[in-house]
Amino acid sequence: MSERRTRLLVGVLAALFIAPLMVLLVQAFADSWRAPGVLPDQLGWRGFEVAFGSARAGDALVNSLLVAFAATAISLVLGWPAARVLGMRRLPRNGFVFLLIGLPLLMPPYLAGFGLTEWFIRLGIDDSLAGIVLAHVTFALPYAILILLSGFNREVEALEEMAATTGAGPARRLAWVTLPALRPTLIAAALLSFLVSWSQYGTSLAVGAGRPTLPIVMLPFIQTDPEVAAALALVFLAPCIVALAFVARLQRTPL
Amino acid sequence: MDTRDPALNLRSSASRSWRREDVLALAPAAVLLAALFLGALAGAVKVSLVPLGGGIGDASLASWRQLFADPSFRDGLVLTLEVTIASTAIAAALGVALALALRRSAGAVRAVAAAPVPVPHLLVAVIAVVWLGPGGLADRILGSLPFDLIGNRNGAGIVAVYVYKEAPFIALLVLAAMGRSLEQREEAAAVFGAGGLKRAAWVLWPTIRGPVVVGSIIVAAFAIGALEVPLAVGPNYPPTLAVYAFQTTQGDLISGEGRAAAALLLAGFLAIVLASVGVRHARSADNE
Amino acid sequence: MRLRRIEVSRWLSAAAAVTAFAVGLGACADDRQPSAAGATDFKEIADEARGQTVRWWMYGGDERINDYVDSVVAPAARRAGIELERVPVADTADAVQRVVAQRRAGETSGGAVDLIWINGENFAAGKQAGLWLDGWTRRLPNAALVDFEDPSINRDLRVPIDGQELPWSRAAFVYAYDQKRTPTPPSTFDQLLDYARAHPGRVTYPAPPDFTGTSFVKQAVIAKGADEGFNYLAELKPLMWQQGERFPKSEAELNRLFANGEVDFAMSFDPSFIASEVRKGEFDESVRPFLLEGGALVNTSYVTIPADAANAAGAQVVADLLLDPRLQAQKADPARLGIPTVLDLDRLDPTERRRFQGSVASPYLLDDFGDVKSELGADQVRPLEERWTREILR
Repeated sequence: MSERRTRLLVGVLAALFIAPLMVLLVQAFADSWRAPGVLPDQLGWRGFEVAFGSARAGDALVNSLLVAFAATAISLVLGWPAARVLGMRRLPRNGFVFLLIGLPLLMPPYLAGFGLTEWFIRLGIDDSLAGIVLAHVTFALPYAILILLSGFNREVEALEEMAATTGAGPARRLAWVTLPALRPTLIAAALLSFLVSWSQYGTSLAVGAGRPTLPIVMLPFIQTDPEVAAALALVFLAPCIVALAFVARLQRTPL
Repeated sequence: MDTRDPALNLRSSASRSWRREDVLALAPAAVLLAALFLGALAGAVKVSLVPLGGGIGDASLASWRQLFADPSFRDGLVLTLEVTIASTAIAAALGVALALALRRSAGAVRAVAAAPVPVPHLLVAVIAVVWLGPGGLADRILGSLPFDLIGNRNGAGIVAVYVYKEAPFIALLVLAAMGRSLEQREEAAAVFGAGGLKRAAWVLWPTIRGPVVVGSIIVAAFAIGALEVPLAVGPNYPPTLAVYAFQTTQGDLISGEGRAAAALLLAGFLAIVLASVGVRHARSADNE
Repeated sequence: MRLRRIEVSRWLSAAAAVTAFAVGLGACADDRQPSAAGATDFKEIADEARGQTVRWWMYGGDERINDYVDSVVAPAARRAGIELERVPVADTADAVQRVVAQRRAGETSGGAVDLIWINGENFAAGKQAGLWLDGWTRRLPNAALVDFEDPSINRDLRVPIDGQELPWSRAAFVYAYDQKRTPTPPSTFDQLLDYARAHPGRVTYPAPPDFTGTSFVKQAVIAKGADEGFNYLAELKPLMWQQGERFPKSEAELNRLFANGEVDFAMSFDPSFIASEVRKGEFDESVRPFLLEGGALVNTSYVTIPADAANAAGAQVVADLLLDPRLQAQKADPARLGIPTVLDLDRLDPTERRRFQGSVASPYLLDDFGDVKSELGADQVRPLEERWTREILR
């Protein structure tokens, strides 16, 4: 695509995707922003003072990070072998497995409030960060499997076979063939699992018995206190942007 | 050459059946999902059948009957399906277009296109209201908007937010499947004289069909069951399925939770139906 | 000099003993004391509560109330040996959902919810399901400062509170107008209708089943009767914002519309909401409160303790603290929250009563709610909401 067209496209994308988010940046510092003002009447720190004060954004941030990293790690570790089998071995009658994996993706997220709590209480894993992690894994794992699935294709199979014919054992094949071949897919799966866990609201509330996570502390302020909500939204988005930038660096060259 | 090496048996048709290694590889994920999610699902079914304080003997279809008798629900079901189909179709089309436009672009450009993906739907809805709502920024800058998305009775606002969020998502999925090998195959096809359209149908589409179908199913399932977006930008009436469930429990949770769970279970069921239709369609295309 | 909680209860026990003796001698008894048995019970509860962590689930979107609980109530609880953990939720229903799930899971103790700031409908439903701890309210020392004979207190949406919920705050439905836009606000529903005729598209209210919207509809029905009330709303509809084709979905959305100048009136059951919105920079400083029909619909805010609460003793101590005149005065102070007290000022001694007087009035608060109206029953809410959806929305 020509230089000019690329630049035009980037401009349009930036205007469409980045600019609207900028309003959060402005609103977080807007102590007063009434119509018909296009810019705030008064700037200040109230949003962040409340966010990190009574809204406990600090605690929520720590909880959300711990849970997201744990959920991502578990989803990748459990999802990798499952995706490998489903992706490379064309097994008969695997519809049931796919249904099981797809179920958490297909059911409405809001449904979590109506059955998850009771079940996790019965299992004894509610009211704890570990419980929240498991609840998030329930929803992140399917995403991880689906993404990893697309990476385990015939080419990887062929590469592994070639490596096997030259005498490389399973561990060597994994480290030198499979992992590098699946690197972009693995990164994408990790990113998506992280994001899925990061934005969970209903499950965290259902299982965590009120433990603060960023979505949980943010929601009450949406609509009722736009400045505080925007400040919390920025705290919420910052790690996402970092993760996205990190991934963009890792995947610098198009394949 | 070690004939016992499993890697060598991968494509052997004789082993196209479930082996112990397969089950062991799938077991951790499957057991975890089954143990955690199926139990929760069973709980939700119980809520829709058994009122609080009752036992198995008190199970009845009362909530379900009330649900189907409610005109708000019926109208809401229609709106939900309309919004879902529109959002999915448009998001898929735009997502593929975006992916095609960006296939040779640098990571930075792709990151810009992917910007909406990490933003949760709730925030996108809130930003949409800040920009497009009455007295919002667009109103203040332009004077007033010619069209009305927020609260639009046909759910146009809902569709707009879903497309905004999900087209980049589908684009990402498609881009992940388009690699150097695709480029090589397209070049090979071109060398053999295949024109643009033929290359698209025979080389490109089979490669990206998988992610497009999967992405569309995810988008459709989400659109059927999501709450925050229609709550923020949807019409007062009719409510989508999740909004109906929410409103039924507003004020008094206990008398409404049966109907709410039933509405959400129905939404999930519809998502499963849509997913199976999509998968079957993709599979049959595979076998052509 | 104000005695600390534990010292007060010991003082009361001692006083009870002395008074019983004095009564026996024909002297006057102090009205304020609970019965001797009650005081002893509470002492045991207070002792048991020491060292407990009480999880109070409450709406988390109001920064001022969060501040009040964190910086006024929590330190007071800490002095009683209790760690108060405020659990912010987006809606009371989230807390009720947790309790319901615990009940469905068969849990009878060790629940994760110790105290809930509950709304009338959920209280009524929970009471019917036996979710709430019973018999604990009247024996609290500070409960004597509340007039439980007042029907707006001993009934929540006309459902008797028995011993299952404790009042802690007052609510009154007030309206807001902007002096710059509307020199004189309407004072009756009919005048509101006239205003809407003169200024079409400038009046709206949140759609039921939102709590504020339902309360507005209730007031129309209370003022005019059921059928007449709905005729009124139907007449009002085409004159409303967006010709009544679209309603704000919540009080917060209506506040945004009002703040942006799209409509001329806002409304809330929180009598201090104008002060709150001005402080957030949302409402202009020229906004003032007003009432319709000469009196506000009043309501009491309560806290309740789930029957399976893990720290019921601590929760009861906290609930008692909420009625402490010092804490109530700070809540009622217009400079802080300006939310009216639920205590009966006549039952306070002069030093305490003075806390509630002499503070500088705020232009954003009404000090008189006029000829107050009383609530409809909890069982009438859903039929009202359904009728509104049927007749007005569709």
